[in-house]
Amino acid sequence: MRMVNLRVPYSARRGALFLAVILAVGFLLLPGQLQSVFQEVGGPLGWIISWPFQAVAGIHDRIAGIWGRYVALQEVEEENQQLRRELDLLKEQNGQLREASVATERLSALLEFKKQVLPTSVAAQVIGRDTGNWYKTIILNKGASDGLQSDQGVITPAGVVGRVVKTTASTAVVLLVTDPNNAIAGLIQRTRDEGIVEGTTQGQARLKYIPLLSNARPGDHVVTSGLVEGFPRGLPIGTIMRIDKEEEALFQSAEISPEVDPNRVEEVLVIRSPSIPSEGERLGVPKPKP
Amino acid sequence: MKALIYLVVIVGLVPIQSVFLPHISLWGVKPDLGLVAVCLIGLIAGELDGLLMGLALGWAMSLFSAQDLISAVVLKGAVGFVAGLAGRQVVYLSPVVLVAGLLVVSCLAGLVTPFVLTLSVQQDWWWALRTVVLPQACLDALIGGLIYSIMWSRWNIEQLMSESRM
Repeated sequence: MRMVNLRVPYSARRGALFLAVILAVGFLLLPGQLQSVFQEVGGPLGWIISWPFQAVAGIHDRIAGIWGRYVALQEVEEENQQLRRELDLLKEQNGQLREASVATERLSALLEFKKQVLPTSVAAQVIGRDTGNWYKTIILNKGASDGLQSDQGVITPAGVVGRVVKTTASTAVVLLVTDPNNAIAGLIQRTRDEGIVEGTTQGQARLKYIPLLSNARPGDHVVTSGLVEGFPRGLPIGTIMRIDKEEEALFQSAEISPEVDPNRVEEVLVIRSPSIPSEGERLGVPKPKP
Repeated sequence: MKALIYLVVIVGLVPIQSVFLPHISLWGVKPDLGLVAVCLIGLIAGELDGLLMGLALGWAMSLFSAQDLISAVVLKGAVGFVAGLAGRQVVYLSPVVLVAGLLVVSCLAGLVTPFVLTLSVQQDWWWALRTVVLPQACLDALIGGLIYSIMWSRWNIEQLMSESRM
């Protein structure tokens, strides 16, 4: 009786290996724009993985819950959470009051703006962190099917968390404000000087390109300037800890302590508003007649 | 059967890497389970399996990371391919040889990564070496050694290697 050989012959295996190597090398030669095509093609794969992802995140939350409630001290945990909520609320109120002392018109415009923006924001839960070590990101349990897309701003009541850089159907990757590859347009609340907020390798942030004549000082609050897509003006980013002024430099820079601790973020809001109204529109400036 | 195992590895490994591994990070650096898995598959099942699994895992992991698709896919694929080639040259694969190999492969992959990614100017080569590459290589080697020791105690690795490579 003849046995049927189901194994792949060696020559066929070599052929397959050759094709696979060509495929891998071909990937290197692909233009950057085609990456988005593969990102789209990877959508179903991302959707499949998102199911065990959410299941693992659920198990993780359950373990964390049991640990928090029964292993750690129950009362301290609850009190801590309560205080954190209050602190977040107070930080938000504090930021708004400071803004009011600078310009009351801006506050009214901001409140009007918030009314417009908040209904279009999406609440999402943090279910994971970056799969690699090169970027500081968080993974959200909402994705493209919930209207999330790249460059949308991510906030908590305390302040800015980061911005969406990638989405699958049911998850989104958020690059944190503390990542050195992130850049958000910022504004010193007291002096109204603008700059760019970048993350640092130490897990803090830095406001760059502050004019030399600015009298910014430690303790000043930095908020979003609204010049970059995704964030409205006036959202808290952080507090200036130190001003760095180098000789013969064209600008100053400042070290910022972010308002939001990215390692403790559990729920966030994604600003889904497609278009942010201009300052004039918010203040009700009449449009010129055609 | 093999394809099913590979699918389970891809679908199961990505959430574990993203949800649980941050809790066992060392100086803020977590091991790369994908790299360890691709190395082991390359060593045991050969360069074709290592390469294809590297491409697939790189793709799946890039969906849940800010890292771009091409660098993730090509790096993981290359690691799987090299591991497969190395597996052909090794007559007796002991856990010590594996740990040393993983340490070297992880270091090499880690050193190439900052050049492939367009990282911020703050994240220079020296920063990458001392804060990401070396801690991650140590953790990868440790985890890989542990997994291999468990496999060693349960299965005949040489037989598994020869069967998988036929």
